[in-house]
Amino acid sequence: MRCDEFISRYDLENAVCLDERLVLVKAENTTEVSEKLLSLSPRYSTCVGIDYRPINRSYLVHHVLALDKYGLYLVLEARAHDPDPVVESITNLFPAANWHEREVMDMLGIKFIGHPEPYRLILPDDWPEKVYPLRKDYPYDRKPVELAEILERPTPRNYTVSIRRGSSVSEAEIPLGPYHPALHEPEYYELVIEGERIVEARYRGFFVHRGMEKLAESRLTVNQVAFLAERICGICGYTHATAYCQAVEEAADIEVPARAEYIRGILLEIERLHSHLLWFGVAFHLLGFDTGFMATWRLREKIMDLAELLTGNRKTYGLNLVGGVRRDIDESKAHAVLEALDFIEEKFKKLVRLVMGMHEIIARTKNIGILTREDAKKLGAVGPHARASGLDIDVRRDCPYAAYKYVDVSVPVMDGCDVLSRILVRFEEIIESVRLIRVFLREMPKGGLMAEYDDIPGLRIGIGVTEAPRGEDIHYVVTGRENKIYRWRPRAPSYMNLATVPHMLVGEKLANAPIIIASIDPCFSCTDHVVVIDRSSRKKIPLEKALRET
Amino acid sequence: MVASRLAFIKEVVGKPVTEQYPYKAVAVPEGFRGKPVIDPAKCLGCGACANACPPGALSIHDEDGYRVLRLFLGRCIFCGRCQEVCPVGALRLTREFELASTSRDDLVQEVRLVLEKCSMCGKPVATRREIVFVEQMLPADQRWLVHLCPECRALVSAKIIGYVRGCNR
Repeated sequence: MRCDEFISRYDLENAVCLDERLVLVKAENTTEVSEKLLSLSPRYSTCVGIDYRPINRSYLVHHVLALDKYGLYLVLEARAHDPDPVVESITNLFPAANWHEREVMDMLGIKFIGHPEPYRLILPDDWPEKVYPLRKDYPYDRKPVELAEILERPTPRNYTVSIRRGSSVSEAEIPLGPYHPALHEPEYYELVIEGERIVEARYRGFFVHRGMEKLAESRLTVNQVAFLAERICGICGYTHATAYCQAVEEAADIEVPARAEYIRGILLEIERLHSHLLWFGVAFHLLGFDTGFMATWRLREKIMDLAELLTGNRKTYGLNLVGGVRRDIDESKAHAVLEALDFIEEKFKKLVRLVMGMHEIIARTKNIGILTREDAKKLGAVGPHARASGLDIDVRRDCPYAAYKYVDVSVPVMDGCDVLSRILVRFEEIIESVRLIRVFLREMPKGGLMAEYDDIPGLRIGIGVTEAPRGEDIHYVVTGRENKIYRWRPRAPSYMNLATVPHMLVGEKLANAPIIIASIDPCFSCTDHVVVIDRSSRKKIPLEKALRET
Repeated sequence: MVASRLAFIKEVVGKPVTEQYPYKAVAVPEGFRGKPVIDPAKCLGCGACANACPPGALSIHDEDGYRVLRLFLGRCIFCGRCQEVCPVGALRLTREFELASTSRDDLVQEVRLVLEKCSMCGKPVATRREIVFVEQMLPADQRWLVHLCPECRALVSAKIIGYVRGCNR
């Protein structure tokens, strides 16, 4: 549905079309408007706080809601003003907004009235009060002040998510994380166990903050940000670069040549193949099935070679600029891709059939790590994780971009809600990716690779959405003047999926925790050390002491 | 149960796939984006590459009558934007990828080019090569303007315009 039709049909007040698929609703009363919108069953996507004071002396808060059924994105705008910027929280209506609103509170100092857990999320505990790094008057290269003094204060332990069911007398606490010597993206889980069963799961994240948004907004030019965006993720970077470029292209009305869109599509699917194969390997490894891990990664290596052939690099493709791509795919390269795909498809199908015939794999995954459809919807789960819980969403089909505009995508949905379903969904997706690459290569039209455009106009809003291997990846851009970006807010899919993990862990056996955490395909990291708790005093004892005394 | 495992092992066991790197060289395909190299004989010192470089691996500054283009591989992300924007093809990405070194200096390449001085005020204008490059694109009667710094050029142009309009008092 086009967005002007949508506005007239649902009689939205103060709504304007920003683009074919982007509606902006300016709300005096956010809660009231959100309540009205609930009837459309939107999916909460992200929240962007913008320091707009240099332009019109106010702060903007943009809640982005996805209307998958209509293929539209809706931006709900609220305003706040100095000296005490305040807006209404909508977390009670959209539980998935919880982290997003807290992030805006941390980074811009805009208060969300009525937020159920208004604690710090992104900034470290020792960060000084009332210092907001994403405000425009905070220089990008300033270091936080007076850290030493603040370090002496007691640190609050505000968990990002904490879920508990049942009560018990004989508990032990097992920390997973926060740092892994080999893998990036530290995550910290604290699991309270009674015997073998997890009775309480707490998650704390956001240990790494790279300051990418600030860097992009202050130091880099429009095309340079595409390369920074690619470095958000160590596995699915190209999808971020594509989402960013699409956001700028939408904001500046740049028409990308069809051939460039097809090339983007091919590379996005190649990235999905390598990412899913990587995940299969990691999952097998965590199930103690290292032969399977090696066998999958051997296949994945072929995909990495393909990426190197097409782009000049195994992983960071670096092919996107605003307006198109930088390299063509010629006949000989296309032929090499098709040949490799035949080999990979045959081998992979055989491999998975054999693995699924193994009793132990099924026993370790079936009915393990349940995330109900209701929870998945409530918490805003995306990607294969959501599709394994029966949610039929996929950006490639619902809000098509790049080459998916021209080709139908089949979306596998399962309702097992367990780890096994997540394996099967990803298996189907690999088969579909292989098919899509073949179709793209066959139907790719001739033509240019790069759109011609003048200076990018300032203060325009654009949203770039892609279906990353892990789910919906959304980039929100406000263009700036003089070849700069005024505000850039990328939201990766794991942001949504991580909040669901504690819900899946409670009630499970401890031995299943690694595969449950990995089943959402985060960049998994864990260390397996133990904290021993003295039951009577509830205090932690150093491990060496505990070992000596027993 | 045993049968399913046997079938799997049968499927996956084969020739070793591990490459004997570094004892045996690994081939990278044509178009691989490796170490960038500046050809000092071609470089104009215009700074287009430093302007495009996303991580700031390429930088340009003037010192003691020279323009210095500095490439620090420690920051390079091998995107190849420099190669794309160079007007004379002086920058090129090679297929070399073994860049580990115990010395930081091995990761730096510098090109020093002589700066020409403004024929009126004597301030540095641009590199001699850049001036020659621009001169070729201009009609013969305008070439002398390239040898002036922007301020002197504005002054001279204003005087000429004033003279033509007859208000040269």
